[in-house]
Amino acid sequence: MAEIKQEAISQKKLEYIRRERTKEMRQQMVSFALMIFLTFVAFGLVAMDLDASFVIPIVIGMAFLQVILQFYYFMHMKDKGHEYIKLMMLTGMFFAIAFVTTFIYIVWIGAPIE
Amino acid sequence: MASATTKRSVGSVIWDYMTTVDHKKIAILYLIAGGFFFALGGIEAMLIRIQLAVPNSDFLSAGLFNEVITMHGTTMIFLAAMPLLFAFMNATVPLQIGARDVAFPFLNSLGVWLFIFGGIFLNLSWFMGGAPDAGWTSYASLSINSPGHGIDFYAVGLQIAGAGTLISGINFVTTIISMRAPGMTYMRMPLMTWTTLVASVLIVFAFPPLTVGIFLLTFDRMFGSSFFLVETGGNTIIWEHLFWIFGHPEVYILILPAFGIFSEIFATFARKRLFGYSAMVFATVLIGFFGFMVWAHHMFTVGLGPTANAIFAVATMAIAVPTGIKIFNWIFTIWGGSIEFTTPMLYALAFIPSFVMGGVTGIMQAAAPADYQYHDSYFIVAHFHYVIVGGVVFALLAGLHYYWPLMFSTMLSEKLGKITFVLFVAGFHVTFLIQHFLGLWGMPRRVFTYLDGQGYNTANLISTVGAIMMAVAVIILLINIIITVAKNEKVGRDPWGDGRTLEWSLPLPVPHYNFAQTPLIRGLDAYWIEKKENGGKMMPAESLEDFHMPNGSIIPFILSFGLFVAGFGALHFASGKDWAIDAVADLPNHPWALPVLIAGLAIVFISMGVRSWKDDLGHYVKKEEVLKDLEEQERGAK
Repeated sequence: MAEIKQEAISQKKLEYIRRERTKEMRQQMVSFALMIFLTFVAFGLVAMDLDASFVIPIVIGMAFLQVILQFYYFMHMKDKGHEYIKLMMLTGMFFAIAFVTTFIYIVWIGAPIE
Repeated sequence: MASATTKRSVGSVIWDYMTTVDHKKIAILYLIAGGFFFALGGIEAMLIRIQLAVPNSDFLSAGLFNEVITMHGTTMIFLAAMPLLFAFMNATVPLQIGARDVAFPFLNSLGVWLFIFGGIFLNLSWFMGGAPDAGWTSYASLSINSPGHGIDFYAVGLQIAGAGTLISGINFVTTIISMRAPGMTYMRMPLMTWTTLVASVLIVFAFPPLTVGIFLLTFDRMFGSSFFLVETGGNTIIWEHLFWIFGHPEVYILILPAFGIFSEIFATFARKRLFGYSAMVFATVLIGFFGFMVWAHHMFTVGLGPTANAIFAVATMAIAVPTGIKIFNWIFTIWGGSIEFTTPMLYALAFIPSFVMGGVTGIMQAAAPADYQYHDSYFIVAHFHYVIVGGVVFALLAGLHYYWPLMFSTMLSEKLGKITFVLFVAGFHVTFLIQHFLGLWGMPRRVFTYLDGQGYNTANLISTVGAIMMAVAVIILLINIIITVAKNEKVGRDPWGDGRTLEWSLPLPVPHYNFAQTPLIRGLDAYWIEKKENGGKMMPAESLEDFHMPNGSIIPFILSFGLFVAGFGALHFASGKDWAIDAVADLPNHPWALPVLIAGLAIVFISMGVRSWKDDLGHYVKKEEVLKDLEEQERGAK
């Protein structure tokens, strides 16, 4: 079985990689803390027994924020070379939202836009 | 190649194909399996036409007729047309973009074996208590009530085959985005590669709705849920939406690679650069995008309301615009070209009027009020056979002749090919043109017979005669293939003499590593440019060195077999249980169903585990081996 070929890394490059990784780690920690905080806020809002019409949009908004943080910081969508993934995910979301909207309007509610 | 000269045993060749991850061999697997299912679907088509040749016929019983039409549609779409297109995609795309293999060779092999086992599973229904009989669309209101296991075979078989297709789709998207040779920018990719990319993106977006729909159906029929059971609060219309959200993009998944094959053929045999290349690319992407916005035009008569019908009608008509752009570009490509009437070119020329006729009837049906008249009549049958046979099957036959030398390094006989062409095209129009009129006269589709004296007799007989002509054409094609394989007269590089794209720059048979050196691409029609400026030699983009290739593996075969076994367990799980739906509640109870299901899934997960934990780093092709091959090719050329 063949071995994967490996090239030696220069000292300078090693330092650069280390610096980048520290930066990456910091960003991940910050976004992780932010996400935990958002989760607590969401739980708190529900626990405080506020009006549902007030809580639901806020919770959905925070969920959306979490999704963005997740995609960009944990799943590396902010990094270079992810343009196609972004395009595909946005197209997929567009289709999914279109499907769900049509489902709600023409399967369950009927034809509300007469 | 050294191994070509040494004689190998049949067993070792079969083992080689079972374990291969080489896209060229996988293409051959797709071609053989897809060809087999194409013949099967063709036999079912002949049975339908024999039954309908005369009024009050009792050649097939009503129930058997339903099974035959269902299996004809399902087989032709999922097990014949798509795999055959995958055969040509696999054979050409990595070569067209200058790659040594696809991005995930292991997944490529998994895709083909999942499809083969899914197809076998579906067709075993004939021998195991009856085939599915609710039409290829398998509308839930019908399929939930279909007694016996027919629909279960449909659900599980398509789930397995569909997983294979989804995997292959992901594979091609990744391959085309990430494995292009230096200089192969997006706007230099041949149209076959472009259409494969867009079709693969459509697969990635369209197959999950089908997977979801089939899962819901599977759980309703086999595990006691009630997503589609109206009496327990389900909604049967959801299946129709899910199916058509998949089903409409599916027809574009079929037709786009067909457009790609024809674009290559037009440019090659008109000896002209494809007219309006960037417009063609734009039109391809636009068709792919619109394909997702029109699914409800299959459901105009369901009662979605006038607003929904109007929106979907307008969206549907919009698709005619990019398709029209393509048709005109092909005509302008031929215009003023130095045309060579080879068999593939003849199919391409016959495709334009045939497909336009199918497109025009499509626009007629897009007008929602008019569709109330056409719905469920033979007019619809005529329409979709005009686009699928006149578009996709013509492309498959054209592609078979065109890419045969690339896949097998021999040439199919042009003389027999032209006889096939004449018989097939004539038979196709005789069969389906008259069906438009049958539909307008009121003959409903999917009904097993008709009464005498309604004016349908002559037209149906004509249609059957046409079908026999097509069958004869396919038999001549088979004879052609057998003769060509038996003669085995090898051809060399660029056998058509007018190859424009990168795949024709390779020596035949193509070495297993495709490119000794990754080529440098200097423009659209890469090989043509080098022929004009560089004496037909591709410029290398790298020095000649050892390079990395993947190892073969038997795991995809075993994994697919595991799902095949699990399918039988799932299939019989609900038989005779109290909670089961009426359709299977009376069947004998099978206590072995659960153990078989678990055993099958165990095979799947163990295979996945072995693949994950056992490192397989592939191998290096040595510089010396490549040099020896190059020397041999040099000698062969002289």
